[in-house]
Amino acid sequence: KDTHAFSSWNKPIVQVLCIATMEESSTLDVSGSPVEKKTKKEKPSNLVIPPKKPKLTKAERRAQQEHQRAAKAQRQTQQANTSGGKAQGQEENSPSTVSNNSQGQNQASATAPIPKADVKTVTDGKNDPKEISVLSHLPPFRDPKDYPDQLLGVQLQSFSVKEKLHPEILKTGRAYATGKLCHGNPRCRAMLKSMDAAIQDHVPDDDVDNKKDYRHEWLNKVLKPSFQFFTEDCRPHSVGMGNAFTFLKSAIGALDRDMELQKAKGLLSESIDAYIQERIDYADLAIAKHASEKIVDGDVILTYGNSEAVRAVLVEAAKTKQFRVIVCDARPLLTGKDLLLELRQSNNLDCTYIYLNALSFVMKDVTKVFLGADALMSDGSVFGLLGTACVALAAQSVPVLVCSETYKISNRVQLEAITNNELGNPAHVLEGPLGDNLRVIALTYDLTPASFVSGIITEMGILPPTSVAVLSMEMNPQQ
Amino acid sequence: MAEAAPSLTTEESLVLADLKKNLTHGTNLNDKNAVAMPVAAMNALLGVVQRSSANTMMGLQDELKEASQEILDWNSREGNRSNIALASGCELFLRYSTRTFLELTEFKECRAAILERGQRFAGISLAARDKIARAGHGFIRDGQIVLTHGWSRVVAALLLKAAETKHFSLYILEGRPDASGAKAAEYYSKAGIPTTVILDSAMGYVMESVDSVFIGAEGVVENGGIVNKIGTYALSICARAHDKPVYVAAESYKFARLYPLNQKDLPPTKSVSLKFIDTTTEDNTFIKMPPEIKVDHSPGDYTPAKFITLLFTDLGVLTPSAVSDELIRLYQ
Repeated sequence: KDTHAFSSWNKPIVQVLCIATMEESSTLDVSGSPVEKKTKKEKPSNLVIPPKKPKLTKAERRAQQEHQRAAKAQRQTQQANTSGGKAQGQEENSPSTVSNNSQGQNQASATAPIPKADVKTVTDGKNDPKEISVLSHLPPFRDPKDYPDQLLGVQLQSFSVKEKLHPEILKTGRAYATGKLCHGNPRCRAMLKSMDAAIQDHVPDDDVDNKKDYRHEWLNKVLKPSFQFFTEDCRPHSVGMGNAFTFLKSAIGALDRDMELQKAKGLLSESIDAYIQERIDYADLAIAKHASEKIVDGDVILTYGNSEAVRAVLVEAAKTKQFRVIVCDARPLLTGKDLLLELRQSNNLDCTYIYLNALSFVMKDVTKVFLGADALMSDGSVFGLLGTACVALAAQSVPVLVCSETYKISNRVQLEAITNNELGNPAHVLEGPLGDNLRVIALTYDLTPASFVSGIITEMGILPPTSVAVLSMEMNPQQ
Repeated sequence: MAEAAPSLTTEESLVLADLKKNLTHGTNLNDKNAVAMPVAAMNALLGVVQRSSANTMMGLQDELKEASQEILDWNSREGNRSNIALASGCELFLRYSTRTFLELTEFKECRAAILERGQRFAGISLAARDKIARAGHGFIRDGQIVLTHGWSRVVAALLLKAAETKHFSLYILEGRPDASGAKAAEYYSKAGIPTTVILDSAMGYVMESVDSVFIGAEGVVENGGIVNKIGTYALSICARAHDKPVYVAAESYKFARLYPLNQKDLPPTKSVSLKFIDTTTEDNTFIKMPPEIKVDHSPGDYTPAKFITLLFTDLGVLTPSAVSDELIRLYQ
């Protein structure tokens, strides 16, 4: 019995094509003129030729497809109704169907593994009340409370990765998944530091013949599994983390194969520290220097959320200029509160705190806007915290400056906010039991078009959004 | 020509003497070979390299920076405009000449190479005007009406080159307060271009009849905008409102590392006093202003990139967004 939905849907068409080509190829050569039929070779005796399926007319084929589609839809509703519980009897014997991976695995292992993203090829939102079709390409949000064993360190292993992971890696992964480490820069630093620790403590297997390259060991046994663990089990990585990982791979590749192991470890550690220092810490200082030249006495600066780069700018400018700050914030994360506390307590800046809905009320007083970014796309659009685009749009009458380090430049272009985003915890948006017809979307990022941005402040200076691609080529020649 | 400040060392006054020698233009508009201030400054800096006794690259760079600063100070004392172009020209000359010479270990070889590069850069800048004229004159077609503002030798070269092969007419804004447009009208008319001079405030009135706007630039800033004579910003907004293209002719040494966010974000300029006169009557006396009335005048303004259609430079015909790409490459 064939329950593989995909192939059964395709079969009649494939069959018909085969028949057509077989008929034509026997009588025509390439130029289209008929040739004599060649004598058939002797076929081996054990060859079993399945009987030819009857050639269906177009109407008959269509009827067959509709029948199969209806049957499949019916199966999907049955699955949706019984999802969460044990798999139905009819699914147990099926080979891995595309839409039932997690259920199959449920049967196989005793403890619940982290459910993989359901990749449905034919998505029909009407049948699954919990799924939103336009966001179905994004991995669904997994509440860390649902799989405590793995993340709280009781089980020192991950399910998506075979190799044993270093405790620092597990600890960092846990911090990612629970949201303890949530902004771009801290996540990247933690990733690099934990990978450094894992490399330092790595003891290679006995290699009597000296055939193994320690660099391959590090990449394949330590780093790639760790990165996969971070991305698939904990939280999808940010653009900056991806660029840092690429740097790490190329730094390892640049090490000498014959170098003594301890020396290589030391060199790599230095490279990692240099990257963090130059591309993140010093970059923030340079950004602060460039940007504070643009702030004049009497300015009213609007900022959104809590960006390390913007914080550095305001702290630096506060040393020499008199201005006030409006901190705009939004649910559910309310990251602006941390920025507000820091500005008030450490720098005694004159601050106002608003939610996003009060933005148009304060906008008439604002003279400049400083925003942070999670990633810079190649066409100059800015990928940032959800709500950044709103602020940029509302502030079109004043200069809108985005502060970002260059390690966050992505060589991709995104046309809108949904193709690559992250789903957050729906409970943060709306708590309590939801009815069958209510779906909650909690997105994490949004995309600000390049035309809304007056200038991007990086450690290389202030540049227009259209020049991000050129800067990326200059800064990362190996990519 | 003003005298140099009394307390100069021999080296500094040599630089200024060189500069004055290289400047063959004073107020002589009609001298087609008139050298622009930045180009004359570059030649003066070449003299510094030749006379330099430094033994390291950093030493030479310091000497060049000092000489540049001296030239800039002299220029602002003279009250000349185009300080931005002068500053950017000197900076670019410095960077271009002293670009990494890591292969050459002997500094004497470096010096010769720097001199050669410097001469090439100065030569390029001098030839820039012709290159721009060749690049841009094709954008004027027979029977068109072109509007221009301010006096720019680059734009003049471009318009004259176009007049060699095409018939078109010219509108010039009078250019208060220095009447630069009115003074330039004779120059264009003698070259055979039918010229009309209009009031600055008439730019909106004529815009519907005009086909394109050609302006020069005192400086081209990083985001592709320009800094030019006051009135350029209003002219560009007006042209944009009527869907007329705005073309800027500027040499590449005018690309400056400035990123103005608004009009107030420009480098401070020396204030100029204004006089007001009613020219519709026979009475030619200036209007007396009581002292409590403030007269505010900025000699230049900033035109954002979105109002500019194309820039004609010696690097080619660029869109405003390409200016930053070129600057990144030049300053890397």
